Amino acid sequence: MIGRIFFGILLCGYLAVILPFSASLTNRPIVVKLGTLPEAEPLKMMAGDHRYLVAQYVVAKVLFYYGSLVEHHSNKLVLEPEYPNMFKMMQTSSKLDPWNADVYYFTQASFTWEVNKIREVNEMLDYGMRYRTWDYQLPFFAGFNSAYFLKDFTSAASYFKKAAELSGQPLMANLTARYMYESGQTQMALGFIEFMQKHTTDTKMIQLYEFRKKALVAVLTIERTVGEYRRRFGTAPPKISDLVASGLLAQVPDDPYGGSFFLDEKGVVRSTSKLAFGGRQPGQKMHQRETQ
Amino acid sequence: MSRFENFFRLSVASLVRDRLLHLLFVLAVLSLFLIPAFSLFSMRQVQELAVTLSLSALSFLLLVLTVLTGASSIWRDVERRYTFSVLGLPVSRADFVLGKFFAIALLLAVVAVVLAAGSFVAIKIAVSVYPADIPVNWLNFAVAVCFDYLKYVLLLSLAFVFSAVSTSFYLPFLGAIAIFMAGSASQEVYEFVTGSAGKDFAPLARSVVKLVYYVLPNFAAFDLKPQAIYALPLVPGTLLLTLLYFVCYTGIMLSLAVWSFSRRELS
Repeated sequence: MIGRIFFGILLCGYLAVILPFSASLTNRPIVVKLGTLPEAEPLKMMAGDHRYLVAQYVVAKVLFYYGSLVEHHSNKLVLEPEYPNMFKMMQTSSKLDPWNADVYYFTQASFTWEVNKIREVNEMLDYGMRYRTWDYQLPFFAGFNSAYFLKDFTSAASYFKKAAELSGQPLMANLTARYMYESGQTQMALGFIEFMQKHTTDTKMIQLYEFRKKALVAVLTIERTVGEYRRRFGTAPPKISDLVASGLLAQVPDDPYGGSFFLDEKGVVRSTSKLAFGGRQPGQKMHQRETQ
Repeated sequence: MSRFENFFRLSVASLVRDRLLHLLFVLAVLSLFLIPAFSLFSMRQVQELAVTLSLSALSFLLLVLTVLTGASSIWRDVERRYTFSVLGLPVSRADFVLGKFFAIALLLAVVAVVLAAGSFVAIKIAVSVYPADIPVNWLNFAVAVCFDYLKYVLLLSLAFVFSAVSTSFYLPFLGAIAIFMAGSASQEVYEFVTGSAGKDFAPLARSVVKLVYYVLPNFAAFDLKPQAIYALPLVPGTLLLTLLYFVCYTGIMLSLAVWSFSRRELS
C-alpha cells in the first residue's frame, strides 16, 4: 500500500513537472540552443566515420538558430546573432566534411551581407574549391564577393572564369562581366540573390532572401529616383525627403530590416539598420542576448 | 557434415532466435523510413544527406550487433555451461570459435545487405523529391557498404580475442568499444603527430604513438563514405591494400582467439 501511495505521489509529481519542464527547455535562450563545439580536430577523431553526419548536424543546428532569428525579426524582435560562434561552427563543419555543399552555401548566405566577413568567406570558399572540384557555385560565390563587396574585379574575373569552365557554359564569364558593366551594383546583387534563392530548399533561407530582396528593391528605387532628381535639378538631393517633396517618389520605402533610409554625404543610399539583423535603429532597444 | 559446419549451423540458429537482435533489426529497418524526411534538413544536398544517413545508420547498427554478439557469444556459452558439455566431446576448440565467428559474420552480412537494399529505396525516394546535379554512384555505395561490413568483421575478430580470454561480459564489450574508438581515430592522431604540429612532441612520445598506430586496427581505411556520398573516384590500389590488410589483421586476431581459447582452463 505504501508503495502504491509512493508511486502515486511520484506520478503526480511527474505530471506536475513535465509541462513547465518542457516549456522551460523550449524557451531556453536561442544562443544556448546554438551551443558551442569543440575544435575540429578532436571532434573529427571522436566522430570517426560519422563525421559527415556530425557536419550536417552542425549545419542544421546553426540553420535552425539563424532561421529562428529571421522569424523573430519578422515579429519585430531585434536580436543580435552570435555571428562569431556561428562562423566558427561552420569552419568546424567544413573541416569535418570539406565536401558539404550546405556549409559553403550557408556561409555565403549569412556572413557576407550582414557581417561583412568577405575575406574569411572567400577563404572558406577557396578551401571548399579544393574538394568540390566540380562545383561551379563556389567560384561563382567568390567572384560575386570579390566584385560586389571587395571591388576586386581582377579576382572576380578569375573566379567567374573558373565558374564558367566548371559549369560548362563558356559564355557565363562574359555575360557576368557584361552584366556587371551594364547594370549597377544593386542590380547585380538582386540577380545574385535570386540565384541563391533558387538553389535552396530551406524555407527560412528563402525568407531571409526575401528580406534582402525587399531591401535591395527599396535601395534600387531610391537610387533611380536620386538619378532622376540629378537629371532634373542638376544637383543631388540634400535629404531623402526631398525626393518625396519633389514628387519623384510617392513615399520613402520601408526598410524590411526595421531601419530608415537616408542619403549619406556622397549621396549614397544608406539605412540606419545597415541592412542587417540586429542593426541599431533610432529609438529601438537592442537586446544583446535573447533573455526574454 | 564437418564439426566446423555443425558449430556454424548451431550458432546461426542461436543468433536467428535471439530476440534482442530481432528488436535491433526492426528498429534499424524502421529508421530507414525516416531517411527521406530527415534528408530534407539539407539546403542543397538532399541526396547526399540521404546517403550519409543511410550509411551512418548501417554503420551504427553493425557496430551494435558486432559488439553485442562478439562480446557475448563465447561468454554466454561458458556461463550456461554449454561449453563444458560440448567441448567435453572430441571436438576442436578451433572449430567452436571459428564456427561462432563465421556465423556472426554471416549475420552481419545479411543485415548489411538488407539495410543496403532498404537504403537504396530510401535514397531513391529522397532523390525523387529533390534530384541532385550528380547522381548517386551505386557502385561506390555498394563498395562503401562492403568495406563497412569488413570493418565490423575485423572488429568482431578483436571482440573474439577479448572473449576468448575473459571470464566476464564486460571486458570484451568495453574492450571492443575502446578499440573501435581508438582504431577510428588512430589515422588522424598519427597524421597529427607526424605532421608539423607533432614537432613540439618529444621524440619518445612520437615513437610510442607510431607504435600504437601500427598495432591498433586502422578502421579509417575502411571508411569510404565520402566516395559514396559525393561520388568521388575510388582508388583500386588503396582498396586492394585495405583488403589485404583486412585479411592479415583478421587472420592474426582469429588465430590469437583460437590459441587463447584452446589454452583456457574451462573446468
